[in-house]
Amino acid sequence: MAKGQPLTFDLDEDDLKLFTEEADEQLELLDTALVQLEGEPDPELVQQIFRAAHTLKGSSATIGHKRMASLTHAMESVLDAVRQNRLTPESDVVDALLVALDALRVLAAEVNTRVHSGIEPGEIESKLKGILEGNAAGNGVAVKVAPSAPATVPPAAAEALLADIAGGKQAFHVHVSIDATCELPGIRCYQVLQELEAIGSIPWSEPGRDAIESGNGEYTLTIVVAGLIEEGHVRAALEAVSDIGPVTVSHLGVDELAAASPIEAAPVAVARPRLSVVENDAAPVAATPDAKPGKKGSQSVRIDVERLDGLMNLVGELVIDRTRLQQIRDAANPVLKEANLQELMQNFEETTSHLTRITDELQEQIMRSRMLPVRSVLSRLPRLVRDVAAKCGKKVDLVMSGEETELDRSVIEEISDPLVHILRNAIDHGLETPEERRAQGKPETGTVTVTAWNQETYIYLSVKDDGKGIDTSTLRRKAVEKGLISREAAEAASDDAAVQFIFLPGLSTAKTLSDVSGRGVGMDIVRTNIERVNGNVSVRSEPGKGSEFIIQLPLTLATTKALMVMAQQTVYAMPLVSVTEALLEREADVHTVNGNRTLRLRGKLFPLIDLAEALGDGASTAPEGERFVVAARHGTRQVGFLVDRLLGEQDVVVKSLGDLIGNRKGLTGATILGDGSLGLIIDMPSLISEQARFAA
Amino acid sequence: MASRPGAFAPEDEQAPSAEEHVVVFRLGQEYYALDIQAVQEIVRIQPTTSIPGAEPWVEGITNLRGRVVPVIDLRRRCGVEAGPHTSDTRVVVVGGSTGMVGLIVDAVTEVMRIPVDQIEAPGAIVSVPQNAYLRGIAKLEDRLVSLMDLDGVLPSHDSADTEDSSVTETIARAA
Repeated sequence: MAKGQPLTFDLDEDDLKLFTEEADEQLELLDTALVQLEGEPDPELVQQIFRAAHTLKGSSATIGHKRMASLTHAMESVLDAVRQNRLTPESDVVDALLVALDALRVLAAEVNTRVHSGIEPGEIESKLKGILEGNAAGNGVAVKVAPSAPATVPPAAAEALLADIAGGKQAFHVHVSIDATCELPGIRCYQVLQELEAIGSIPWSEPGRDAIESGNGEYTLTIVVAGLIEEGHVRAALEAVSDIGPVTVSHLGVDELAAASPIEAAPVAVARPRLSVVENDAAPVAATPDAKPGKKGSQSVRIDVERLDGLMNLVGELVIDRTRLQQIRDAANPVLKEANLQELMQNFEETTSHLTRITDELQEQIMRSRMLPVRSVLSRLPRLVRDVAAKCGKKVDLVMSGEETELDRSVIEEISDPLVHILRNAIDHGLETPEERRAQGKPETGTVTVTAWNQETYIYLSVKDDGKGIDTSTLRRKAVEKGLISREAAEAASDDAAVQFIFLPGLSTAKTLSDVSGRGVGMDIVRTNIERVNGNVSVRSEPGKGSEFIIQLPLTLATTKALMVMAQQTVYAMPLVSVTEALLEREADVHTVNGNRTLRLRGKLFPLIDLAEALGDGASTAPEGERFVVAARHGTRQVGFLVDRLLGEQDVVVKSLGDLIGNRKGLTGATILGDGSLGLIIDMPSLISEQARFAA
Repeated sequence: MASRPGAFAPEDEQAPSAEEHVVVFRLGQEYYALDIQAVQEIVRIQPTTSIPGAEPWVEGITNLRGRVVPVIDLRRRCGVEAGPHTSDTRVVVVGGSTGMVGLIVDAVTEVMRIPVDQIEAPGAIVSVPQNAYLRGIAKLEDRLVSLMDLDGVLPSHDSADTEDSSVTETIARAA
């Protein structure tokens, strides 16, 4: 098989979805965890990584993706050595695992594309094997401390063992490595199982008994054996088996067993973990047949996003009906009162208010069920920082907080690229080299802090570095050179204002977010992406101290706060994030400059546009002077919109106009109003940019 | 014919290919029909919100029980003179490849089964561009019924402009 050739896998559409979701989840987990692995092998972390690799191996083998299964197997072997403290995860080990992870990602994607990517994992596998053997060659010297308190015994087995111990038996945790040169490790594993079974009972092993008996043993084997035996019996029994490398035997006491918490002890030998639907919240990795159902830890169920979207829509309808019901109640009240039907009226009143409460609650619950912790984006960052820092020759500490902050998954999808770009810029151009930092009396290692938090109905993400700050004189010069701003304006701008030039479109030459170069490059694209989801981005900078980018996003894209206006008998929603103020036309300072209506507001002049006309619906016919002006801003561009009436602020549920109508100029969607009719949602950024351009 | 969506599945009740089950409606004085499988419901005309700058045959969008559904005036789309709405005017809600769409028609007249041997290819009778949304013409005893191809009559947004102008031009020339 070679690159480009079609591939077939043993799975249907539903399985594909499950496989993809699970693979993404595990790959993401590996991405974060592998970077942390370096240097400090926290046993729980190692276990987590091992489990993720093992799950991937299981699912790829099930669908018949041999190359992926074989690569994960190689990774698993290395990780197992780390887990057993036989291998220290120095940076070369982590590097090799990261290379393997990258290949794994491509291999996993093949399941969707069904086309051979050209990746042949053989080379990577031999590198991984080399690491293992290199370690084994060093023999006893490289072998680190024996595992002290193995936390791998599953709770069910631990309970049985505790009973055995109470009955006077002894329990031992045995770890056996089969020589790498052995051709059929499965047979040796089976022999080990046989020998130990002869002297005691075996409540648990990894791989499991079934796997060993069916010949699927691996190069390492962990067994718990219990009986009226001493450590010597165990060692003697193992001597009967050939091709065995280092063996560790440790005594399992009551303390060790009791300490084996259900989470740490989740077993890894599960045949088809990808089919698990109900999983433990704390360990969303594999089904745990040994864990008794109903144990502590909340249960969760995977739900298709489409189904959640459907629920969200239904609730939206319910909210509208509720509003209508309230209107009907208000209309009916005087009639009922007149007819002396107080009791009926009161019932109506109570039912309506109860329905209102429940609907609100329902809406909130469903909204919340669509939320994901921002961690799913942040988890990619440590790896990114490591790579970028290495490439730029910088030393960076990444500090993250607020990973638990939740936001709607639709927003999460939109935020990832801008965040990565800002972070990359912060390292590449914000931080100084270690030499420069030392010369300035700063610590050699720079710090980049990524923080997420909630405030009202927004989520904020801050990326802050302690580097050199943004050079405003360069920004001023560039902006003037490129004709984006007049020399006078550039010179008049305060430093704080000049820093904002970084977002000016045209300041950079990069066309996409993936291009990396000078500071400020692509920042207008970052801003465009963020504003597309009704967000905002701002920057602060202090020379020599560093800079901070703050991204503000709505918690959800499903609803948005908007100013409702009427123009030419149509109701429009103008998202508040772009609206700066609204005033009566007759109180506004309107001038005509070169035949264009111009608004003077707070000392600034900007174009005044008839909203309906700008959208192609004809000029406003409402009496002049009684209309309203809505001032709006997009970045540095400002426009005043002339509308017939103001209808107040409202939370609007954003609905698509549908494929048939597609993306109309100046519109992002529609929303259902209280009376059941539809209003149109204005695409403020595009409309403002267009109008400001016309005027310029 | 062969590419028509919603063709009868083999498990459909007796005589799977001998008849077409259709909803017949009137545009001006002409009769058209849509495969009943494509029709989701038929509702009375309801308020619509017009979309500024949309094609002339797009009546606007309407709220169909919480869904935002685009509404097309099929009379304008097919080049039939559009009179005022009457008590017979209906919106035929269909599920096309671009999602749910409402089609304004002057009246829905009946649901019927048309034997396939009474259906002819449209090529012989109408000019070529109209084939884009007519897939056949049924000769009934008292009148002609044009069988409409849903995906032809609901262009995707990208092709809307070009297709629309060519169709209306042809109709204008034919008239």
